Amino acid sequence: MSVGPDTAMSELGLKPAIEGRPTSVPSAPVLLPDSRGQRWASLAVRVCTADGFYNLVSLVGGLLLWEIIARVFERPYLPAFTSVVDRLWELIRSGEILGDLSRSVQNLGLGFAFAAVLGVVVGTLMGRYAVIEKMLDPYVYALMTAPTVVFTPVYFSIFGLQRWAIVALIVQYSIFVIIVNTVTAVKTVDRELVEMASVFGAREHQRITKIVLPAALPLIMAGMRLGMGRAVKGMINGELLIAVVGLGATSEGFARAFDAEGVFAVLLVVVFVALAATKLVELVDRKVNAWLPNSQR
Amino acid sequence: MIDISHVSKTFHPRAGRRGTQPVTALDDVNLTIGDNEFVTLIGPSGCGKTTLLRMVAGLTSVDEGLIRVDGKVVRGPSPDRAMVFQAFALMPWASVLRNVAFGLELRGTPKREREELARDLVRKVGLAGFEKSLPAELSGGMRQRVGIARALAVNPSVLLMDEPFGALDEQTKRMMQEELLRIWEMERKTVIFVTHSIDEAILLADRCVLMSARPGRIHEIETIHLPRPRSRADETSAEFIETKARLWDHLRSLQLAEEPKRVGV
Amino acid sequence: MRETTLTRVLTSGPVLKVIPAVVFLGLWEVGANWKDSLLIPNASTTIRSTFELVQRGETWEAMWISNQSLLLGFGMAVLTGIPSGLLMGRVRAIEKMADVWMNVLVVLPMAMLMPVIIMSLGFDLRARSLVVLLFAYPMVAVNARAGVREVPTDLIEMSRSFGAGEAQLWRKILLPAAAPAIWTGLRVGLGRAITGMILAELLLVSVGIGRLLQLYKGTFQPGNTYAIVAIVVAESLVLMAVVRRLEHRLVPWANDDAFSRT
Repeated sequence: MSVGPDTAMSELGLKPAIEGRPTSVPSAPVLLPDSRGQRWASLAVRVCTADGFYNLVSLVGGLLLWEIIARVFERPYLPAFTSVVDRLWELIRSGEILGDLSRSVQNLGLGFAFAAVLGVVVGTLMGRYAVIEKMLDPYVYALMTAPTVVFTPVYFSIFGLQRWAIVALIVQYSIFVIIVNTVTAVKTVDRELVEMASVFGAREHQRITKIVLPAALPLIMAGMRLGMGRAVKGMINGELLIAVVGLGATSEGFARAFDAEGVFAVLLVVVFVALAATKLVELVDRKVNAWLPNSQR
Repeated sequence: MIDISHVSKTFHPRAGRRGTQPVTALDDVNLTIGDNEFVTLIGPSGCGKTTLLRMVAGLTSVDEGLIRVDGKVVRGPSPDRAMVFQAFALMPWASVLRNVAFGLELRGTPKREREELARDLVRKVGLAGFEKSLPAELSGGMRQRVGIARALAVNPSVLLMDEPFGALDEQTKRMMQEELLRIWEMERKTVIFVTHSIDEAILLADRCVLMSARPGRIHEIETIHLPRPRSRADETSAEFIETKARLWDHLRSLQLAEEPKRVGV
Repeated sequence: MRETTLTRVLTSGPVLKVIPAVVFLGLWEVGANWKDSLLIPNASTTIRSTFELVQRGETWEAMWISNQSLLLGFGMAVLTGIPSGLLMGRVRAIEKMADVWMNVLVVLPMAMLMPVIIMSLGFDLRARSLVVLLFAYPMVAVNARAGVREVPTDLIEMSRSFGAGEAQLWRKILLPAAAPAIWTGLRVGLGRAITGMILAELLLVSVGIGRLLQLYKGTFQPGNTYAIVAIVVAESLVLMAVVRRLEHRLVPWANDDAFSRT
């Protein structure tokens, strides 16, 4: 077919995946709104065209595929999804995994908290004062792109097998992404807003706390989300290499025993932790950026 | 009283920017403004009116000359020379009340006192009932009322207004002009008001300062002989129309003086 | 602050950039000497060890062994990641289906899958390359996908209205527009690949640089241990710098807030 100025996109059979995610399509026109059948039909249309639907189908489909392949090929390194779930349930019941989970999450929390606070402070200083930015920028960039995992022996030598080695690694994993996003956030604060504050008598520390930080918060939170993802990676990598307890350590234990089922079971927990932690940051983000009237001041 | 004497300012291009010449924004500008006088600054783009305003505010430094307010030399911004911004400059995360009370908050005024003062001003500018609203929930005109209230809250000796109604539509602009006149009658202050609109400049001012561009200089000062309090009706008076005609003439002669320069480009 | 010659020198670019390094090295030297631990070398020892190691053939042999997996793994990641990413970006249906799994891949700590890889592939170069591939692929694909998705619709519609076919659309619009994002993916993917290379050798099998690291650690040679760390970091910086240079040359219109996709 010839393509001309009037060819509709849909006629070409290709929908460019450009636009942002569409929200669910409104239901098909209903002829008899009171008819039960019609209502179910429109609900079905709504469900089938929603994004979440595809996610679910894809997820279930993938897991199904995993199950089938595992059962057909029966390899020691590819346990079936159902047996992994069984194993996980066992581990939960024995309490083993919960102890690890708590330990790992504590490390994660400590490391991330430290990285968040220090990261925002450094990022704000760099964003506000060009001298500091010029000075620190090459190091921030270098450390952000270098393979952080290679520093594990360094932290091991300083802290030994204690949790602080892992916490330090987590800090290094997440802090630079937070710093970089904070710098951007601070630099893009509306200059006129800061000027206004000066006019009304704000001194530098007031400008920062009352104008710059609130204005920069959305982008800072974006950095936090990315930082949390990195922090989880750091937690795992650190624990695989250093720790004696914790999710990573347990997984490594299973690995050495060639217990693939165990490894996958822990993996499920880790994925869950990662998703939950990121979701948590998202929730905080949404709450903080609903432009709360900060009347506690 | 504001004393602007022999003030000059040149803007230099940023290092590395090729091809841009230094711009003389202001050249030997002299102006004295009396207490509680309402002065408007008008002129073509590039005449330096905003630069001059920002200098009085203390946001832009003076290259040569001196600006004195009530005897003290201006060295930096201060709530004593409060400003109302064209783009409103409201904190989007704070309520109307908190925005209005901002200057007082910075000063350290205790919470109850500053909220009371703020509420009073919110009422005066006609926004009673909107104390808890966020700026995003307000129209342009309402946001500027917040800006005005905020400026008045710190009881400045000078009110600096940088094209405050420039971002508003015609209807709202006209309404805000009348509002401003009403508010000014209640709280008389020294005002410097920058605008593009001749009508606005004449309606509001005691004196209207016309500036010329390249370099920025004061070209004419018209005293407006309309009695106070002013109202929309004054726009059709003979005095208004004549003053407007005179100012247009001046502007046109400025335009024509510019033309030969531009032809050569 | 009054501009004296001293302040002007101190705040000039090159001097400024060196200050944190000097301060850090100084603190390190003092701190390590004070703490006097068998495991923690001071700055001067580390620097000396680094110079020494760099001159040893053994070091370079190890680097070559390690980097083979990087070459193979990252190469595969690019060859699979870019096309699949572009496809996902262009065809909505594929993207929707793959989305869940892409999210999981990006978030998954690949390191945990290593034992599974040993069990299936053994300890050889193939296994290590697979690890590198797994580490790098998600980032390359996701960024390529984003690059295509973010091409402004008007550009596409405009070219359609001028009669462009699919191939032309790709050549003239989609690929150039997506190029900056693709390069970002390559850059970030390379960083991940290097991490994979290291982790594979620390967790999987001791060859190359990983083996040296374990060796020096195990035989209490702290200076050499830290020196290996420094060498790996240096290699990573050099590789990244090369990619950035290429990036600036090939996609000069890209802007620098690619950081937010890291």
